[in-house]
Amino acid sequence: MIEVQDVRKQFGEVKALGGVSFSARDGQITALLGPNGAGKTTLLRTLIGLLKRDHGSISIDGVDPEKDPLAVRRNIGFLTDQFGLYERLSTREYLEYFGELNGMGGPTLHTRIDEVAELLAMDDILERRAKGFSQGQRIKVALARTLLHRPRHLLLDEPSRGLDVMATRALRHALTALRADGCCVIMATHVMQEVTHLCDDVIVIAKGHTVAQGSPEELCRRTGIASLEDAFVSLVGTEEGIAA
Amino acid sequence: MKPKFFVVLIKELRETLRDKRTLGLLALFTFMYPLMLGFLLNKTIDRATKPERDGVKVAVIGSSKAPTLMAQLKQRNVTVVDTQPMDETAIGELLRAEKYPVVLRLSDKFTDNYAAMRPARVELWFDSADENYSQRREVEEVLEAYGANVASARLLAHGVSPATLAPIQVQRFDTGTNASRSAGFIGSILGILFLPAFICGMSTAVDITAGERERRSMEVLMAQPARAWELVTGKWLTAGVLAIAGVTLELALAHAILSWMPLEEIGMSWALTWVDLVVVCVASVPLCLFAAGLQIALAMNAKSFKEAQSVLSIAMLVPLVPGVVISMMELKTAAWMYMVPMLSNQTLLREMAKGGDIGLWPVAMTFLSSAIAAALAVGFASWRMKSERYVLSV
Repeated sequence: MIEVQDVRKQFGEVKALGGVSFSARDGQITALLGPNGAGKTTLLRTLIGLLKRDHGSISIDGVDPEKDPLAVRRNIGFLTDQFGLYERLSTREYLEYFGELNGMGGPTLHTRIDEVAELLAMDDILERRAKGFSQGQRIKVALARTLLHRPRHLLLDEPSRGLDVMATRALRHALTALRADGCCVIMATHVMQEVTHLCDDVIVIAKGHTVAQGSPEELCRRTGIASLEDAFVSLVGTEEGIAA
Repeated sequence: MKPKFFVVLIKELRETLRDKRTLGLLALFTFMYPLMLGFLLNKTIDRATKPERDGVKVAVIGSSKAPTLMAQLKQRNVTVVDTQPMDETAIGELLRAEKYPVVLRLSDKFTDNYAAMRPARVELWFDSADENYSQRREVEEVLEAYGANVASARLLAHGVSPATLAPIQVQRFDTGTNASRSAGFIGSILGILFLPAFICGMSTAVDITAGERERRSMEVLMAQPARAWELVTGKWLTAGVLAIAGVTLELALAHAILSWMPLEEIGMSWALTWVDLVVVCVASVPLCLFAAGLQIALAMNAKSFKEAQSVLSIAMLVPLVPGVVISMMELKTAAWMYMVPMLSNQTLLREMAKGGDIGLWPVAMTFLSSAIAAALAVGFASWRMKSERYVLSV
């Protein structure tokens, strides 16, 4: 359960977040929609305690990331728009590294790596070094790292980007399994189709403000527009939002 | 559970050791300095001992005109090679070929002038760009002695005491001992010996900070449940371990070469024992850690990989400055020198190479001065990594 109440953040003169409020429930996949530059990255960084908010409150399962960032991070899988692979490490070594950073080790870690590899269908690249991986292979490795320590919360920044059909299916399958497990998933994305298929809840942010929160159907109903894409544009308030 | 900084250290080391370019550079610098040093010293020793072995060989044009002079040259172990008359360019070429350090040419009127007691000219041709000063000096001494002998004989024949020709007598006393003479030379090479502390970890320090940031994996790493100081410490120790390995290997190699060479031939001494060497190596561990800490702190703050590289190349020169200034100002070893990182290591090794017992205090000071500086650098880097400005830049 992630609860955000009127979070604001300013960098000098630039207002990155002007008041974001939402709650993302356990056992749901929550989409985070917003045009580029809406403040999604700042929001995600604030959620894991890399940035300090100027105002408002954040609670992740009752823990404030500002007070105890390590406890929050232990319970969060964070997939940024950069995968953070190391070219000279094999996938298994890469996963071992992040597993150990999360306090795992020994046989437990090994079994877990095999489990995650099976879940994401990536046995073929487990012993290979990351140099020369395709985009799809890279995101699989990064996703495996995100899921490795069984976090109860997942913050995913465009996880399906660059994936082929099979990999997208595998990802969707994994996310559904996590939802069934009772995880709280927040997924920033630009693919509306994915939102309608997968997400239970949608948060729309624009220019650092939450504009709306609700299920995809609710958003369509509220705006009186049938397609989610058009509803989104209408909520954001400008056509430029998507073009930018 | 392994400590987080240890996890980072092992991973960074593993990654670095897989990079052939970094390893190659490491090996190059580790072996290059001692071998270069050995080669230079070997050449010096070779040159210094050569004349004693072979004696001096001199080409003489018109040797038949002065048989007594030739006889005296031969007595002083100077080999006279009789040569056909030749012009200036031919003599120049002969000297440039370095077959003879000196060419003597007796003028055509030598015999007439000599018999008439007018100054008889002997031309001494040499190449001052050539480094055989001692051999040239030997020939000159024979010529001077010969001239003085003849002058004395002539004066005696006129009833004048030859002592009138020498109103003063110069006698030279050299108080420099082998040890103090060598200290100067060794001091000048010591600055280079500790430089690998700053070189061996450099490319890795850049790669795991600015490089990791540029490859955009730093944010992922910072989002893990590890404290900033744990990440920084892991990275710092990675560069530190490489620097320590490089410096220790390099010092051991340099020590082996210096002890094996006949340094006494050129009036130098290398009185270090293997135990002393261990002391020096242990005392330079903090220097390596300081170098690594400084490089991590600087490279982390650089805006890009390239900027980090150029900043570190400049930073590498800074520790050399105190050593150069000291040798330029010819300052005597003082206690404060042990408080400046790098300079302290150079001073320590120099004093130990002289062979004296220097006690524990300088070693402790050398150790502590760098250790404190290292702790400051790492503290700064950790504080920096926690700051929002850094988070925004990754």
